[in-house]
Amino acid sequence: MERSWYWRLALVLGVAVFSAYQLVPSWFYFHLPPDKRLGPEYETSVPRWAPNARRHLNLGLDLQGGIHLVMGVDVDRAVKAKVARRADEIGDFLKEKGVAFDSSAPSADGTRIEVRSADPAKVESMVMDHYSAELYAPTGEPQGTSWFAFKGKVIQDFQAKAVEQAEKTIRNRVDKWGVSEPDIKRKANSQIQIQLPGFKDPEKAKELLGRTAQLEFKIADDESPLLDPVRGELSACPVGQDGFFQLPLPDAGCWSVESVELPAGAQRQVTYLAANRRDQLEAAIDKHARPKLDRDHEIGIGEGTVGRGPVKERYYRSYLLRAKTELTGDYISDARVGTDNSQGAGKPVVVFTMSPEGGRLMEKLTTENLHRRMATVLDSKVETAPYIQGKISTNGQITLGSGRDFQTMYEEANEIALVLKAGALPAPVTIFEERTVGATLGPELIKKGTTAALVGLLLVALFMVAYYRGTGFIADVALALNGLLVLAVMSIIGSTLTLPGIAGFVLTLGMAVDANVLINERIREELRTGKTVRKSVDQGYERVFWTIVDSHVTTLVAGIVLMQYGSGPVRGFAVTLIIGLVASMFTSIVVTRVIMDWFTRGDTARLSV
Amino acid sequence: MKFKTFDIVPHGTTFDFVGKRRIAVTLSLLANLAVLVFSLNAVHGLNFGVDFAGGTEMEVKFAEAVDPGAIRKSVEDLGFKDASVQTYGPESDHSYLIRVGRIALMSQEDVNRVIEAVKAKFPIEGTPHFNPDVGDKIDFQFKGVPPSPDALKAVVEGANVKVREVREEAGLTAGTRSFAVITQGIQDKVERDLAARFAQAKPDVRRVEYVGPAVGRELRNQGFKAILYAMALIVIYVGLRFDFRFSPGVIIAIVHDAIITLGYFVFSGREFNLTSVAVVLTVVGYSVNDTVVVYDRIRENQGKFKGKKLSDLVNLSINEVLGRTFLTSFATALSLVGLIAFGVGTIFDFAVAMLVGIISGTYSTWFIAAPMTIWLEERAERKKGAAPQSVAASKV
Repeated sequence: MERSWYWRLALVLGVAVFSAYQLVPSWFYFHLPPDKRLGPEYETSVPRWAPNARRHLNLGLDLQGGIHLVMGVDVDRAVKAKVARRADEIGDFLKEKGVAFDSSAPSADGTRIEVRSADPAKVESMVMDHYSAELYAPTGEPQGTSWFAFKGKVIQDFQAKAVEQAEKTIRNRVDKWGVSEPDIKRKANSQIQIQLPGFKDPEKAKELLGRTAQLEFKIADDESPLLDPVRGELSACPVGQDGFFQLPLPDAGCWSVESVELPAGAQRQVTYLAANRRDQLEAAIDKHARPKLDRDHEIGIGEGTVGRGPVKERYYRSYLLRAKTELTGDYISDARVGTDNSQGAGKPVVVFTMSPEGGRLMEKLTTENLHRRMATVLDSKVETAPYIQGKISTNGQITLGSGRDFQTMYEEANEIALVLKAGALPAPVTIFEERTVGATLGPELIKKGTTAALVGLLLVALFMVAYYRGTGFIADVALALNGLLVLAVMSIIGSTLTLPGIAGFVLTLGMAVDANVLINERIREELRTGKTVRKSVDQGYERVFWTIVDSHVTTLVAGIVLMQYGSGPVRGFAVTLIIGLVASMFTSIVVTRVIMDWFTRGDTARLSV
Repeated sequence: MKFKTFDIVPHGTTFDFVGKRRIAVTLSLLANLAVLVFSLNAVHGLNFGVDFAGGTEMEVKFAEAVDPGAIRKSVEDLGFKDASVQTYGPESDHSYLIRVGRIALMSQEDVNRVIEAVKAKFPIEGTPHFNPDVGDKIDFQFKGVPPSPDALKAVVEGANVKVREVREEAGLTAGTRSFAVITQGIQDKVERDLAARFAQAKPDVRRVEYVGPAVGRELRNQGFKAILYAMALIVIYVGLRFDFRFSPGVIIAIVHDAIITLGYFVFSGREFNLTSVAVVLTVVGYSVNDTVVVYDRIRENQGKFKGKKLSDLVNLSINEVLGRTFLTSFATALSLVGLIAFGVGTIFDFAVAMLVGIISGTYSTWFIAAPMTIWLEERAERKKGAAPQSVAASKV
């Protein structure tokens, strides 16, 4: 045999072994009963030599049951609310500056602020002096009125923030339910898509529509030893060599300590609890921490991350807080990311503005609790707990812990600004699409779907052997490898197998055979002209190669367009189709050729085709 | 060496496909026209599923046989005049698909009643907002001292509408406060009602799909756009790979196949939904395959038989690859048998429509795509005043 043949053989065998190896986790995954697959039994059942246990075939929501939601964030309404609020602010501002005016109100369509006054020119110059960063003065206003509107970029930015906020709220609430593997992503047109596998209560999902809950400021009590006895009850959280927790943490939760600076200047090792999931942490808190609390304290739950790169893994942790809510988010009028140049190089900080009343409360609070940590709690989750480093009144600044690069700190500052504003201006959310599949439907569909797929594939395979005999069998071997390869790629890229996806799988295998039909027919044709088997095989593959590529590409084009268009099950179909077509080009041309070349290696070889 | 094979389609056939083109094109035109006319709403219309029409669809399985008429009556009694109930899957499954065109349970009259009741008690600012496309939710704005959420809830329930939640939202204008009243939804109500009426048949709501009408419209427009984009891209690809003279034939053939596939949904009255768009797209992509095989052969023969009349060349090429055109379609169709035999609901429709598309694709390759190319060539030449040699062989 030629040298290149051995290389091709090695490639084919390599791909086969690789595919089979990649499917090991899936094999164990589907061996477990459906209710155990999401639990810890699965990860422990996968042998150590197998690839990453998370890379298994996923069932789509239509097959495993669950809820698929698409929510629309009503950004227009949020913008209107922002305009209305700014109109109030301008009124206050003019009053403060002693400028006479009759009224400051949003226009009927909510896009402009209209200020009526005896001297519009003065109003305009005063307002623009102060707000020119965000507002501009459109022309065309009637006599005695000044118009102001937000700049296009400000509106766009705000709309994007509104969607981001809504997503945050949704993520936060989903976390509380303890759904494993929820999938929440932002889509175009201010839409948010939420997939909750295995979730069975559609009415509860409506909770996600609720208004963003109150933002509260609470003081962290780092001096209190209340939680220290927990160290005797739970195990300590495992820490890796990099100083981060080693995930996953124990299901029952665990304890750890952090070093906190006290107002007096001393350091204290403060105990907290941690767990992988919010519901697990809540259970641990109920069991170990809550009984130890007095009336003045409560436990707040926040998030921690592990890792330095862009991909971080999350865990949940507790904070010991004073029960009293010191301040609420209603008093915040604005928050944004700023830069602090006081220590030389610019450092991202969060700058926020309180209403006058809020400023007075904040001043009192910060004076009394200087150098303590103040937790901002949104929707009963501790979002951040910075130290109070100085007295804050109307304008405050949250400085972030140092030692990280600019980008990380900027992102964190942005995140906190978002939280601070969240209480102020939530955008209403409505359901656009809701698809719920009960738990009883999935298993039945899987059974019917696999039966249907197997029958179809068996028929195709039998036909090939019956019609082309030897070469038909070769095509069947390629077909089997094709199926294996498709499933392996799907589990590697983590795409989901949906009901239409099963149909797509069968269909692509049916199409894959087409390529072999073309090749075999061409070989027959060449043989008819009296060529030797060896030559006919070579010619058959050569002549048909581009035809096969062309016909695959046209179907691929349709698949790619479909992937752009569809979501959920239909997208699953498109992905399966695309993977299947690419795999088919490999198996039907390269794989069958390797086998065919072996059987027709001599000049006098015979071939049943 | 003597070579013998068993061929389903004998080789060396000499069917005159090009000669039959007038009959074929007339037949196809009629069939396409029929589909298009019948897909108009005024005549017959496509049965759009909730994906495209918007509304709520519930799949309910009962433990024993239940009269679909009785289910429909009970849903209608809840105020859904347009409810439709059909059996889903085999009769023995006792599964039914309930569809209502609305996504909001409240009708405009209910809403007006609620608004009147609230207006009588509290200082409403502006017009309360209710959007039937969004669902069971009314937005109120109040001036001055707003009611407490509980008081508001009590008033709305006093107007005989069950409230699930009242929550405050960001005020729209200065000095006002705004509340959203969310009332009991369709799924909740239908599920309870069925459980009460058919207690012994144990209704199990297995799947609920709810799509807002505005979203449905958007999905529908995008779906048709996607099909057009795919067609355009395929035509461009084939044009680049072969010759742009082949493009009109390809366009006509794929439009033909897409319409015939659509015909399955038009005439069977089966639901047209997202999966159906997927089928039409796949048919568009797949049906070109056969055409590509024939075009490839035409190109090969053009080099071999220089000076031959194009119509003879096309006939010869189609005949030479007749076997594989049939066999490839047959093999792919075979893979669908299982889905047709065991598939339920959308998957069954997927498979049958795909089968229709495959058959149409094969037919259009033989009788439409290649012959159309000749037709267009000949027309172009007649206009030019015509050289005797029909086509110079193209080299690609």
